[in-house]
Amino acid sequence: MLLCAALGAAACARAGGPILIGVAGPFSQPRGVSMQRAAQLAADEINTAGGIRGRPLRLVFADDSGSEDTAVRIAKSFAENPAIVAVVGHLSSNSTLAAGRVYSAGANPLVMISPSASSPDLTGFSRYVFRVTPNDLNQGQQIARFARRELGARRAGVIFINNEYGRGLRRAFTAEFTNLGGSVLEEDPYLSTSASFEPYLSRMRLRGGVDILMLACERPGADLALREARQLGLRWPVIGGDALTGIETLGPIAEGVRYSATYLPQRPGDRNARFVAAYARAFRGDHPDHRGAGAYDILYLLVRTIGAVGPDRAAIRDYIAAVGVGKPAFDGVTGTIAFDALGDVPAKPVVIGTIRNGHLEPETAR
Amino acid sequence: MSGVSGRPLGTLRWRILLGFGGVLAGLFAAAIIGAAALRAMREAVAHELQTLQAASVVGSGLVTTVFDEIRAAEQYLSLPSEQARREFQDAADEGFRHEKGLEQLEGLSVEDRLTVNRIKGLQASIQVDYSLAHALRDLGRDRAAQAQSVIVRDQARELTRLVRDLSTRQAQRAGQAGQRLSALAERRQLFLWVVLALTIAGGVLISWFTLQAVEGPLGRLVTAAERFGGGDLRPVTTGRMPREFQVLADAMRVMGERLRGVVGEVIGESDRIAGSASDLSAVSEQLAASSAEVSTAMVEIAGGAEEQRNELTAIGSGLARLQKAAGEMADSAVRVAQLGEEIRAVADRHRGDVLAAGTALLTVREVVQTTSHQVQQLALQSASIDDFVDLIKRISSQTNLLALNAAIEAARAGEHGKGFAVVAEEVRQLADESAKAAADVAATTAVIREQVEDVTATMAAGQAKVRGVESVAEGAARGLAEIVGAIEQVEQAAARVTVAAQQNREIAQQLGEKAHQVAGRAVGHAASAEEVTAAAEEQGASTEEMAAAAGALLQAAEKLRTLVKEFRV
Repeated sequence: MLLCAALGAAACARAGGPILIGVAGPFSQPRGVSMQRAAQLAADEINTAGGIRGRPLRLVFADDSGSEDTAVRIAKSFAENPAIVAVVGHLSSNSTLAAGRVYSAGANPLVMISPSASSPDLTGFSRYVFRVTPNDLNQGQQIARFARRELGARRAGVIFINNEYGRGLRRAFTAEFTNLGGSVLEEDPYLSTSASFEPYLSRMRLRGGVDILMLACERPGADLALREARQLGLRWPVIGGDALTGIETLGPIAEGVRYSATYLPQRPGDRNARFVAAYARAFRGDHPDHRGAGAYDILYLLVRTIGAVGPDRAAIRDYIAAVGVGKPAFDGVTGTIAFDALGDVPAKPVVIGTIRNGHLEPETAR
Repeated sequence: MSGVSGRPLGTLRWRILLGFGGVLAGLFAAAIIGAAALRAMREAVAHELQTLQAASVVGSGLVTTVFDEIRAAEQYLSLPSEQARREFQDAADEGFRHEKGLEQLEGLSVEDRLTVNRIKGLQASIQVDYSLAHALRDLGRDRAAQAQSVIVRDQARELTRLVRDLSTRQAQRAGQAGQRLSALAERRQLFLWVVLALTIAGGVLISWFTLQAVEGPLGRLVTAAERFGGGDLRPVTTGRMPREFQVLADAMRVMGERLRGVVGEVIGESDRIAGSASDLSAVSEQLAASSAEVSTAMVEIAGGAEEQRNELTAIGSGLARLQKAAGEMADSAVRVAQLGEEIRAVADRHRGDVLAAGTALLTVREVVQTTSHQVQQLALQSASIDDFVDLIKRISSQTNLLALNAAIEAARAGEHGKGFAVVAEEVRQLADESAKAAADVAATTAVIREQVEDVTATMAAGQAKVRGVESVAEGAARGLAEIVGAIEQVEQAAARVTVAAQQNREIAQQLGEKAHQVAGRAVGHAASAEEVTAAAEEQGASTEEMAAAAGALLQAAEKLRTLVKEFRV
């Protein structure tokens, strides 16, 4: 490592040294933890098995804190480091959208694959941006259908974080819910800096309440909404997107909350069972979330790709784009990954789960 | 010359084609460079303008939308209505669309992207703050709503400023791009000028070289042709020249060689004829001299015979006196014997002369035969001159055709071919003159042939005459041989007279009779000798005629020599 630093990364890349892959996400926040752990787990497994073409794999972690500005800076430094051949990340839609433009521009574009960025704006966003999670359009539709058909909701209130993720999920939900005959009472924006949703919740109650409270929120906002609803004594059923992942740890107020998930640790299959077991062994019995599982799959997909075409950015991009089209689809722990022409994985299913006894349990849609 | 493929620059056609092809290619390249540069500049300018326009459209759109959003929000705050709420909502959505446009602007630096992020944050914040204010207003908490809405003003100001900054930076970048484009345009322009200048210089050089390539060889060919016309047939060196001219030069060289060969042979032949004619003339003179000698000898013989007859007559009259002068008789006989001896000597000498004359005549015949043979050869030679003149006529007609073609090519070449057309006309005239010269040569050859035919006729006459002289000489020789035989008999008789005279008078009488017989014979002999003399004189006349013929021949040969002497070989 010291020698590599002394010689410079490029020299290392040529001299049979490690192959570098960038991993970017909000690792200082709870939502980024599983992604970082699973990525490291995958790298350790790969290096134990002999690396890629006999060269070790080394991950370059960068914490974007979910901030667009930081994401842009990280993207710039990754893109300018020729030794980095691909990027796993970013985690959230807003940082992925901000960083994606930087990766795509320049003389030597860098391919990035996000484990969890789900904004519809990312569909066909760039030739170099891919993701292994279904987009919010898909998730928003699934959530609206579930609320309207399974829960029989007629009136919905939407609280959304005013960024790409929140707006995308809200748009998809409202369109589908209205389409299915329901009415959306109000759509209220918030920011991570917002101190309280109480006026929104009070106004909903003033207007006669809702059958379902849709939280197109990130974890902190969702936590705040649940707490304030509890304080106001509101008992409306609550549903949300995959950004609510981990909210089950909040305790009793999270009981009964439903959210869409693209991956559940209980997902059947040997490969997933082995991954969950290894993850639990490595990290004190914890379970991986969809972001970790996605990052784990992305790394194995990249290893297969580099093994096939070598550590060349353009060749890797072309191979990735052909996965599921010209090249075989990838069977990972999250399911089958096959990209369409817009960089999405349309074939991947969405599962709505309910928190029961502090655990998300899948509800099978009828 | 190994062909066009081997030396493509060997012909005028190829030089002109390659030269003007090069000039055209240069002009074409310049045109393409110019067009490409113009296109690239136009595209670059259009691109810059588009970028700038997009930036300004998005920027102003965003600012307008945010103000619309604020207006609708404030309106709702003062008087909540569904219309104001929807306008606020629509303006907010419109604002996010503009933001997306902002993000998609080309050529944004990382700094610009951070600004865009900040604008997005501000807009989201404005929307959230107003949404909360509206909720508070709907809940009747007007003061809280008012407090919430105040925050928005600073954010709106900040957003406007950021959008303006972004536009300014875009404009600056466009300005820099404009300067870059301008510098590029100047470089392209310079390059274009250089290409054009090189092309023009190349065109001028090629024109000059082409003109040189036509004028130089043509001048040399004209000089050579003029030399031929002046009769100077010495070999000409024309040096290296384009293939078209090389053909002409080769034709002229071959023509010169053939002319030189023919004229040289004619000169040699005329020299030989002149030599033969003077030989003939010398032999004729010799023959005349010999004839004179024969004549003289014959006169002497005739004189000797007369003398003998007189002596014999004297013997006949003296026989009466023989008895008394037998001794005298013996003496006389001795004298007769001496005289016979003398006659024989003279006859022998003259027979030798006559034989020599015969031999000389044979030589003359041979010379005449040789000469006539040579003259016939000369006639044949003049026939080959005719062939050759035909060749010259063909060459000149071909040259004429070439000149015509050259004139057509020159006309095609246009302005550049004008000089070449004049030259082509010169060549054509030269070909005409060549044809005329050939006709002159043909006429001269005809004259020579006539002369030669005259000479041939004269020679034939000479030969016939020589044959006549020969027969005469043979007759003379025969006569002389008979004289010798007779003289021998005289001698024998004289000897016998000398022996018998002393013994017997009867014998003397017999001898007298014999002497009479001898005298009769001597008279015959004298007549023979006179005949010989006449023949010899006749021969002399023939010889003179022959000498005259030889002179005429000599004169013809001299004339021939003068004619061909005008040629320098």
